[in-house]
Amino acid sequence: MATGAAPPRGMGEIEQALLACASGDKSALRRIYDAESPRMLGVAQRLLKRRALAEEAVQDAFVLIWRHAARFDPERGSGLTWIYAILRNRSLSILRDERRTETSDTPIAEEMASEEDDPETVMSKLSDASALRACLETLPPQRRSLVLLAFVQGLTHGEIAGRLKMPMGTVKSWIRRSLISLKECLG
Amino acid sequence: MSPSADTALPPPERDALAGEYVLGLIEGTELAAAEHRHERDRDFAASVEAWRGHLAAIDATATPVTPPADLWSRIEAGVAGVVASAAAAPAAMSRAAPAVRSRFSDWWDSLFVWRGAAFAGALASLLLAIGLFGALDRAKRQPVMVAVLLTDASVAAAVVHTFADGRVEMLPLQSINVPEGKALEIWTLWDRAVGPRSVGLIDSARTTPLRLDNLPLGKDQLFEITLEPATGSPTGRPTGPIIAKGTTSQRL
Repeated sequence: MATGAAPPRGMGEIEQALLACASGDKSALRRIYDAESPRMLGVAQRLLKRRALAEEAVQDAFVLIWRHAARFDPERGSGLTWIYAILRNRSLSILRDERRTETSDTPIAEEMASEEDDPETVMSKLSDASALRACLETLPPQRRSLVLLAFVQGLTHGEIAGRLKMPMGTVKSWIRRSLISLKECLG
Repeated sequence: MSPSADTALPPPERDALAGEYVLGLIEGTELAAAEHRHERDRDFAASVEAWRGHLAAIDATATPVTPPADLWSRIEAGVAGVVASAAAAPAAMSRAAPAVRSRFSDWWDSLFVWRGAAFAGALASLLLAIGLFGALDRAKRQPVMVAVLLTDASVAAAVVHTFADGRVEMLPLQSINVPEGKALEIWTLWDRAVGPRSVGLIDSARTTPLRLDNLPLGKDQLFEITLEPATGSPTGRPTGPIIAKGTTSQRL
């Protein structure tokens, strides 16, 4: 997982725990929690900035993992990507719901825009060995940062356009082309 | 740009769409189409899985955060609710995991919807406030604050009245279709740090008192109605689609 390569198919601990969850074994959910909750909270915190919201996202994600464990199909993907997809979807919906209901508060996006979220900082933290890093490095820095802003901070096309003062159409087509180049590189 | 989900896409377009989908950049009807494609198109699903696997390297760079001691007990409480409601309605278990996204997605589908909702909301608030205040004056039941709850199509679905003696009630303005085994849950949000609190659960759209008890109540406080299992949200937070929402305004 940490290498960024597609994880090997097969029944690892997470996959086995998900199947046990599907059969009603709550201790299996706890095993996933023990193994992954600190990193999940870190991922949610990076997207949501506020600790209370990040905890809410992780809490909801675990309830959804439990509820939908029977739908997890090890043939279609790894257990970890399944879990993190649920966490990401839940985090993004909280993030966008917060931005919608925000009135006078500082928008979340601008709150605590820490250096840790900065695209180039994230690049530097990617493992040297990761295929993703090598392929991101083939992109011009500005285009690379668009992809990273979308992933790391959960920004929409419109928010990226506003942040970087670029036309929305340009943002869309740059990201699209960057993804196609990345995919060619990643194989 | 959004061909039918049942037609195969050429590989570069398929992979770009899968990447945008994983990043969370697809919105509105295109998101619904992408979710449909994710269910049906194995090549697309494989591309989504490959993107998730590659981008996991970025998640791995997030600094781990030790969860607070009570997080697990909150999860257990949520899970206990699921077990109870799942026993009551096993059909609800058949939702696919990728559909989780769509349950929350309708709300941010479109900026236009929201701009429209904002304008329509202001207009509806004004018209309803004028109409309601006239009627309520005569009835000597003057609410202190009123919230008009709008659907995402900007239709006023319900109003919430708060009274000087602390009573709060919700009056439906539209009939709301509630499927078997489901209920309407009413929530209020006064502080995002605290999160939404459930203040009522009804099986059909009818006038109902809301239990705010000791919860704060003020101007610009959000009220919303979501569709939840008949026993209420399993997580203690809104999980189902939002039927309508709006914020309180002070009576003049």
